[in-house]
Amino acid sequence: MADIELRRLVIKAFHMTDVEMGDENKITTDGKMTINNDCLPALLDKYKEVIEKIDVEIIRPGDHDRFTNTIMDIIPISVKVLGKCGEGITHTITGVYVMPTGVDVDGEQAHEFGSSEGNLKDMLYLNRAGTPGDDDFIISFNITFKKGMGQERYAVIDAYRMVEEWMNMFREQLRAFSGSKCTEKHEYYDRIREGQKKVLVIKEMIAHGAMLDTWIFPDQPSGVEGGKSLIDYGSMPVMLTPNEFRDGAIKAMN
Amino acid sequence: MGVGPSTKETSLHHFRDPLIEILENDPGIDLMGVLVFGSPEGNAEKIRCSRTAAVVAECARPDGVIVETDGWGNLDVDFVNCVNEIGERGIPVAGLNWSGTAGKFVVESPYLDNVVDFNKNPEGIESNIVGENNYTEEDVRECLKRLKIAMAKKERGIK
Repeated sequence: MADIELRRLVIKAFHMTDVEMGDENKITTDGKMTINNDCLPALLDKYKEVIEKIDVEIIRPGDHDRFTNTIMDIIPISVKVLGKCGEGITHTITGVYVMPTGVDVDGEQAHEFGSSEGNLKDMLYLNRAGTPGDDDFIISFNITFKKGMGQERYAVIDAYRMVEEWMNMFREQLRAFSGSKCTEKHEYYDRIREGQKKVLVIKEMIAHGAMLDTWIFPDQPSGVEGGKSLIDYGSMPVMLTPNEFRDGAIKAMN
Repeated sequence: MGVGPSTKETSLHHFRDPLIEILENDPGIDLMGVLVFGSPEGNAEKIRCSRTAAVVAECARPDGVIVETDGWGNLDVDFVNCVNEIGERGIPVAGLNWSGTAGKFVVESPYLDNVVDFNKNPEGIESNIVGENNYTEEDVRECLKRLKIAMAKKERGIK
């Protein structure tokens, strides 16, 4: 029996081959990304109640023999170009991923159950689905919280909002990229395979509180704004299509 | 993310999850969707939410279910309850879970045979190395194989 295609999601990837500090925060379709930290004081000012300092650094592929504070997440920079979550077109950047890390002014690591602080080459296992590959750049977004704030749920959420606000500078440019310039194009279908074995996936995700939290349905893929914690859903089951799931509907929040 | 740094799944993991990828590319599988539920702190809530996930599964009439979690310890309570409730409803079930040596199930169920332990750490511990104890394509294939056997057994009336 034929497959019935319900809807299509196209993810277009734009690969960055060159990431360096520069005069502006910019990405180009020929794979160049520049980062400029002049924007950080204004960003920090918005979140100064809970955050003391931000340091943004570029970590080149293989250059991992360096100290890192505890790794809070690894985030792809993606943006919806057309349609709702799970359909239409999404643009994403490959070759570079954002890695928020956190510590407070007293040196207390922003973690709940086990901290990954230490030498980055020892504390980050590369080439997993959820981690950068050998050839990827990492943007280390190190957050220094005010005293004790690395353990407060609202402060940690604020930190993620701040990271997203920073990422939005690149999302805006990425949205405007001509799709024909992409380096990879993937088409995904929510489909019914009639007559085949019907399989349901159930994923249990943490919903305890600060640093042990999962958000769903953000406005932008792997984003924060517009999303809600599973805690706010009473942890009850929520059904997603495969395409919604793969379109960044889930944001890890620790 | 989940409980310890080495088992927790990052946002990037969800964005390019091998579980979804492999199920969707298998021509013998009709992937129905992804049911997400939270793991709350309280025990009564844990039982309620994980049972409701099994209820949704029953109502959707799947041929088989894969249950996965990136947490362990107290998250096993909901995980095992979910697997158990699905098993008791006569639905073939397989799973993905980190156990190693440090995170063995804290609760039991007769339906845990098809749960793949995706430990990667040589000592089986929560190493705090981000990504180390995450499931890979290989783990998903093993899990899917076990589910296919369970579904075939049910079809043929084999216990």
